[in-house]
Formats: sequence, structure tokens, C-alpha cells
Amino acid sequence: MKSVKSIALAALAAASLSSCGYNTMVEKQEAVDAQWAQVENVYQRRADLIPNLVATVKGYASHESETLTAVVEARTKATSVNVDASSLNQEQLENFQKAQGELSSALGRLLAIQEAYPDLKANENFRDLSAQLEGTENRIATERKKFNDTARDYNTFIKMFPNNLMAGIFSFESKPYFKADEGSDKAPKVEF
Amino acid sequence: MTNKSDITPPEASRPRETAQRNRLRTALRALLTMIALAACALRPAATNAQMPSPMNPPRLVNDFAKLMSATDAQALEDSLVRFDRRTSTQVTVITVSDLDGYDIAEYAQEIGEKWGVGRKGKDNGVVILVKPKTADGRGRAFIGTGYGVEGALPDVTCTRIVNEVMIPHFKDGDYSGGITAGAVAVMKAVDGEFESEDEDSTGPVIALFMVVIFFGLVAFIIMASDGKGGGNGNGHVTRSSGAEWLMAGSLLSSGKSSGGGWSGGSFGGFGGFGGGSFGGGGGGGSW
Repeated sequence: MKSVKSIALAALAAASLSSCGYNTMVEKQEAVDAQWAQVENVYQRRADLIPNLVATVKGYASHESETLTAVVEARTKATSVNVDASSLNQEQLENFQKAQGELSSALGRLLAIQEAYPDLKANENFRDLSAQLEGTENRIATERKKFNDTARDYNTFIKMFPNNLMAGIFSFESKPYFKADEGSDKAPKVEF
Repeated sequence: MTNKSDITPPEASRPRETAQRNRLRTALRALLTMIALAACALRPAATNAQMPSPMNPPRLVNDFAKLMSATDAQALEDSLVRFDRRTSTQVTVITVSDLDGYDIAEYAQEIGEKWGVGRKGKDNGVVILVKPKTADGRGRAFIGTGYGVEGALPDVTCTRIVNEVMIPHFKDGDYSGGITAGAVAVMKAVDGEFESEDEDSTGPVIALFMVVIFFGLVAFIIMASDGKGGGNGNGHVTRSSGAEWLMAGSLLSSGKSSGGGWSGGSFGGFGGFGGGSFGGGGGGGSW
């Protein structure tokens, strides 16, 4: 009798686990983690472009060392902020976003100096790097938006009844969002 | 059981109205929550409202801004459809008279993602987006790349095609020529990157094979057991199984030939977008 009861209980638990969205929660959480990896990917892509860009600019505008150093330092700082996807919280995301935002504004200042150096502006390598950088900024914007969408999907799901009960028991935490930047993290615009 | 009913009376003796009011309040709250959730579900759909939907039937040249002549648009459509068939890569042209406040790169990414340009999994779609020059606004063009074609069409290549191939035509007011030249350059860059979507046409054929083999096997087993049951000896079994194999063979070959006919292009136009995804790659320019 007792074993029948426990089997029934286990069956009930299994049924309710799957019907109350436990599996869906896991799936959605995985989707958020995967999207975070995409976000890190595109930020890394930008970081990888910077040494080349700095070297090119140096060749034409060596006495802009202050701007160049600022970029290099901001890059070092930004790449040192590592965030683990599974323990992502609001504070970590804000730190990450702040460091990357500082790099964005340093890059914006670096790209602005091209106006003073016609040779640099005309340099093919520099133009290619600018195009790549602009494309990377577009990718960053896209992946951030996709991250927010995925996180919103997950957050909405775990907060809905009766999923919220299940989420509480198995401690599914809500995921943070990227906040819109006040101009600092906007893609540096390069118009030819 | 008796114990419980002994406890309940004092509870029930409370005024009935409070219980009723409580129930009403819960129902009202549930209703409000449902309305709020429904409103949340509707919100994302509303933000995309301004972007045009794909034409029906779907086309690869979507000249919403009416920049191309009908013959040029049809010629380009034909060559893009042929390219899609041959390489499974979907290059779509979209012209709009207004970007609705979007950055052109963002517009290209969103519309590519929304329409699902390119094949799912391969993400081999390209969006060539053109917004014509108007009295009060610059002309803008952008080539947006799906995740899968970012290697064949790096941002630098997209920027070059727009600035060096397309915009010179646009500056002379020749939109048909510029768009066609840009599309040709894109096709050239992506050619060889992907193979034609064979699995789409072989999928059903393989399924047909499986069904035929399955039924053939079932029939074989039935006939073989029949032969055994009849106790007529070995001759009967081999004869019937031979006939069965012949039948299965003819079925197989007919299945094959009908599959070939099916994939041989009985439809003339574009088959529709395939669910590709875009990550914001690409490049463009303005004039």
C-alpha cells in the first residue's frame, strides 16, 4: 500500500513538474544563457578590433596619445569584467554595461579625431576598420536587444501563475535587463 | 470526517456576505490580472506595426517605394529566384520611402529577422534595403547580412558594394540600375558559400521509400507465413516472395520517378522565406 502511494506521488510530481512548466523554465533559462554568450561574443569582437585600430591611428596621429591611451585602458578594463551567465544579476550587468559604455565613449572620441587628419580619414585600412567597428556596434545593439527579449520572455514566464510557485521552489531567479544608455553607448557614427 | 464537520459550523455562522464579497474580490483580481497579462502579450506586436509585411504571394524584390520599372523588377526577381534555387541563399531587395525613425542598419536587421529571410539554421539571408533621397532627407542604402553569410559578406564588403557599386547609380537617379548592380555584386560574393537546398526535395522521397519498404516488409511477412501455414513446401514461399520483391521494386522505382518530377520545379515563382535570423551585420552608406 505504501509503495503504491509513493509511486502515485512520484507520478503526480512528474506530471505536475512537466505540466507546471518546469521543463519550459529550464529551456527558457538556457535560451537566456545562450543569448548572453552571444552578447559577450559581439563585445569580444569589438575588443579584438581595437588593437588594429589603435595601431592604424597611431601611424597618422601619434600625438593624440591621450585619446589612444584612453581607448587602450578602457579596453583592458572592459575585457576584465567577466560575468557568469548562470549567476547573472542586475548589479553585475550594470558593471558590465558601465565598463563597456566607457569603452564606447573612448572609441567615439578616437573616431572623432579623424576629422583633424585628412590622411587618416582617407586611409583605406582605417576606413575598413571603421566599417567593421560600425558593424560591430550594430551587432552589439542587436544582441543586446535579443538578450532583453529572451530575458523578458523568461521573466514573464516564471512570474506567471502557477509557474511562480514552481520557480520559487526551484529558485529560478529573474534575469536583469540592459538599460538604454544616455547617448554614451550609442554606436559611433561614421559618415563618409 | 465527523470531526471536521464539528469544527465547520462556527466558521459558517459568520455573515455570508463577507465570504461572498471575498469571492467576488478574488474573481475581480483574477480578471484584472488576466487583462494585464493580455495587454503585455499584445505590446511587442504593436511596436513592429509600421514595418511592412512580405508581399503576398512572397517575392524577393519588394519595391514598396516604387523605384524600379516593372520590367527591371521582374528581371531581377527572376535572377534572385534562380539564385535562391541554386544556392538556397535568399537575397531580398526592399525599398521603403520612410524608415519610420529607425537607423537603417536596425531597420534592415529587424525586417530580415521578422520576415525570416534565408533558411532556418543556415541563416543565409541578405537584405538590400534602399531608402530614396527625398527633398528633406538623404538617400540611404544598406546591405544587411544574416548570421550565416557574415563570412562571405563581411561588413567591409557590404559597405564597398553600397558606396562603390550602388550609390554612383543612385546619384544619377538610376535606382533600377543601382539596385540590380548591387544585387549582382552580392550574389557574386555569396556564390559558392551554400549548396542548393536538396534536403527539401529529397525529404519526402526518403519518407516515401520508408513507407514503401515498410509495407513491402509487412506484405512479405504475411505472405511468407501464409506459405508456411499452407504447408505447401519451399516452392510456394520463394515464388511469392519473388513476386513481392518485384512489386516492391516497381513501387520503389515509381516512388523515385514521382519524387523526381515533384522536385523538378512544377512551381514557377519564389517559394517563400525560410526563417533565417539576423545579427545586425552588414554595411551601408548615404548620398
